[in-house]
Amino acid sequence: MKIIVCIKQVPATTAEKRYRADLRLDRAASEAVINPLDEYAIEQALRLQESGAVESVGYLSMGPEQAGEALRRALAMGGDEAYLVTDAALAGSDAWATARVLAAALDRLAPDVALMGMASDDARGSLVPAAVAAMRGVPLLSYGSELQLHGTTARVRRLTAAGFDMLEAPLPVVASVTDQVGEPRYASLKGIMAAKRKPMETWSLADLGLAPADLHGAALTRVVEIRKPEAKPPTERIENVGPDEAVTRIADWLAARKLI
Amino acid sequence: MTYRLTADHLELRAMVRELAEEQITPRAAAIDASAEFPWDLKELLARQDLLGTSFETRYGGTELDNIAQCILVEEIARADATTSLIPIVQKLGSLPLSVAGSEEQKQRYFPRLASGEWLAAFALTEAGAGSDVAQLRTRARRDGDAYLLTGSKRFITHGSIANLLTVFALTDTDAGGRKGMSAFIVETDTPGFSAPRLEHKMGIRGSPTAELHFDEVRVPAANRLGEEGDGFRIAMATLDQSRLSVAAQAIGIAQGALDFAVGYAAQREQFGERVVDMQGIQFMLADMASQTEAARQLTYAAAAVVDAGDADLAYWTSCAKLIAGDTAMRVTTDAVQVLGGYGYVTDYPVERMMRDAKITQLYEGTQQIQRMIVARQLLQRSGVPVRRSR
Amino acid sequence: MSNDICFLAEFADGVASRSAMELAAGARELAAQSGGATVALAYGPGAAAGAAGLGAAGASRAVVLSDTNVPAVTLAVAAAAAVRGAHTLLAPATPNGRDLAGALVGLLGVPAFGPVRAARIEGGRLLTEQATLQGTVITVSQPADGAPQPSVVLVLSGTFTPLEGGTGKAVVSQAGGVDAGPLGQARIAESHPAEAAVANLEEASMIVAGGRGVGSADGFAPLHELAAVLGGAVGASRAAADAGWVPYQLQIGQTGKVVKPALYVACGISGAIQHRVGMQTAQNVVAINKDPDAPIGEFADLFVVGDLFAIVPRLTAEIRRRAGG
Repeated sequence: MKIIVCIKQVPATTAEKRYRADLRLDRAASEAVINPLDEYAIEQALRLQESGAVESVGYLSMGPEQAGEALRRALAMGGDEAYLVTDAALAGSDAWATARVLAAALDRLAPDVALMGMASDDARGSLVPAAVAAMRGVPLLSYGSELQLHGTTARVRRLTAAGFDMLEAPLPVVASVTDQVGEPRYASLKGIMAAKRKPMETWSLADLGLAPADLHGAALTRVVEIRKPEAKPPTERIENVGPDEAVTRIADWLAARKLI
Repeated sequence: MTYRLTADHLELRAMVRELAEEQITPRAAAIDASAEFPWDLKELLARQDLLGTSFETRYGGTELDNIAQCILVEEIARADATTSLIPIVQKLGSLPLSVAGSEEQKQRYFPRLASGEWLAAFALTEAGAGSDVAQLRTRARRDGDAYLLTGSKRFITHGSIANLLTVFALTDTDAGGRKGMSAFIVETDTPGFSAPRLEHKMGIRGSPTAELHFDEVRVPAANRLGEEGDGFRIAMATLDQSRLSVAAQAIGIAQGALDFAVGYAAQREQFGERVVDMQGIQFMLADMASQTEAARQLTYAAAAVVDAGDADLAYWTSCAKLIAGDTAMRVTTDAVQVLGGYGYVTDYPVERMMRDAKITQLYEGTQQIQRMIVARQLLQRSGVPVRRSR
Repeated sequence: MSNDICFLAEFADGVASRSAMELAAGARELAAQSGGATVALAYGPGAAAGAAGLGAAGASRAVVLSDTNVPAVTLAVAAAAAVRGAHTLLAPATPNGRDLAGALVGLLGVPAFGPVRAARIEGGRLLTEQATLQGTVITVSQPADGAPQPSVVLVLSGTFTPLEGGTGKAVVSQAGGVDAGPLGQARIAESHPAEAAVANLEEASMIVAGGRGVGSADGFAPLHELAAVLGGAVGASRAAADAGWVPYQLQIGQTGKVVKPALYVACGISGAIQHRVGMQTAQNVVAINKDPDAPIGEFADLFVVGDLFAIVPRLTAEIRRRAGG
């Protein structure tokens, strides 16, 4: 049984981010980490491997050369091998192009489960898991708080507003998990040292049998403008007054905005 | 001596810093307040393979160079001095075996120490033998194929929680401390051993500092390190290396205090401006930063000397510990000053850092002992004949 | 190829969701700009009976994809047939909406946008606005030249305002019996309802949220009362959810829900970036915190320094009093 975890390298939540003149994110400039929500997918895959349900865990990422660092960090947490798809033609890829490339790579790797985190930190679109499933012609089990494997069936536990459902589908599947799977482990020192020796392959678009023309210039969407958000008016403060006075002022404020 | 930081060093620093900021910093105040040893953090460090960095890979360690070991200690100490003692003392307690142990002894004990399953500690100091190690009184009387240890030790870091102690005792009471001392490996579950008392301290309060009693504790002769009479040499060789860890600890404490002081001053406003924009404060912070960096560079250079195995490593490690300890005390005191009244209260960590820093001027050889070592080495280098004063 | 604007209309217990009502209004707005019709894709329990009623919300036609509780992604093939060639499809930025939208992107090879906080059609072309990089930047995008249709747009709740007092019925048709394909193979094997249903935060227009400062599960009681009198829902920061004071479904932030209510009252929440990204597009943010230096004070609209346990109950009483109760 094989799981491939798709991970994305993103700017750290607290890092300073910059766009370049061509309106693309300057991914090299910011401090980069594994997309925090992907760490939960990694953790889920490693737990399944530790329990013996899965023999092999690999990682797949699409990005600039630097994304290899994210793959090494994942290998330091555990797992066996990593694959990086990198190509100049992929710069500025949108969700569709990303899904197209990941789908092609996953078809080559043919895992039983292609596992992803539920959203990426930068764009928060979370369309990629479903798009990949559709392109590959496999079922999608999304937003799982736990992934289970039973013979030739995969199941996820999905929390709903009214409790939880168990969803299932026959393997192979695409699955995505939330932060409810459990705290991701830290990479141990031996893990970090071992990661350097684990195999990592680098693929270009040509290796996947894709040409830049297939990707419509890496995006079906085009950014036309980047701007700063509207300046918010400064925060109004209520302090150094007793609770009754504070409440009167709050209520007045809400009423002025027709919220009550 | 020159050195270079490698990508591996930087990666290690990033890894430990992340772990320390997320898991150790939030616990530091509570550890100090409760004065309880943080077993959970010991487990965490063991799981992350961070207690085995001074052991060879064939014993299950990760065999990192001394610069890397300093970086590890520094980053933990930046978060919490007490927790940084866990890897420091694990190394200190094991060094006598590294220095003088037989392969059989290492095989017997190193795997459990490298994994962190067992804790080690170093038992040299006694009530009457602090700086003057030669005043040691604990005795090891030969009895068949074993020794019976009798006596007391004081101020032994982790002595009450260690599974293994390296204990220094007189096998020849007539020869005096320097020539009559031997070193032994003592497993603490041996009958006759007890740790009846812990010290109440100014700082590093979560680290148990114990009084140890040996009441005819039976130690197999196979647990003696080297030959009878080798003890003093083993102790000195150990301390020549281990004091590097204390230097790293001191730098870490200083850096943590500096970082906090900068952050505080950047958001505190008085007289209509940020405190950090006041030149007087900037000058203080600049002094704190440059002195910490100087201590750090000296310590890393000393680490490189230890890695190279140079004959004059004692000179280097003593210089490093001397400078780093004094720097830590000065920087943490200034950090409290930068915070003003807030620096004095337990709501903020700098008062704890200042209390923690003091120990780096006292243990593993007081600053005065360090000066004696540096002076002696200096005279030797300068070709001045040494006259022992007492 | 048409100028029609489609939208996903999710039903639960026979009632159209708030997102369905908002997207209906949005579709109507965009259809006026594109010159096309508005088409609802209705699914979920009660969709067949309720689809016609979407006419009052703004839809001229409605296609019923399914009337039962199935994972939305299994309806993707049927939805693809229904939207092929339309100008734009609006989907809610909820898990079901994202899954269905993502699957459509994969099946049809079309551009995807969002989650957006604004969308319009100018000169026949779609223009969307999205806050990216934790809200530090606004990105304006459109389909690339020659991109196929429809554009699929994820829409944050609160972006469009449901129509009031609309009339009319949508013309309802059933989706053709297409083979759902491999995507149709996911099924709900078991359903375990909780004792009490938790309100859907992503649809709430008023949210009262609690953080570490609330201190305990019992501490949330005054927040529930305030939410009730506002007609809203209760949310929480990760600290409160991790501590077990509230169920996970209430968690707002980087690893929880993203909400865009008209009013967000943050009680005892410090405002760290991981929480902020889940609620910073709320129209009005009121924060109550004992700590005058809490980061939330930087981006709240109204920051009240005080004890939430003194202020929240009094606020509840005052709001009730002003409402004439």
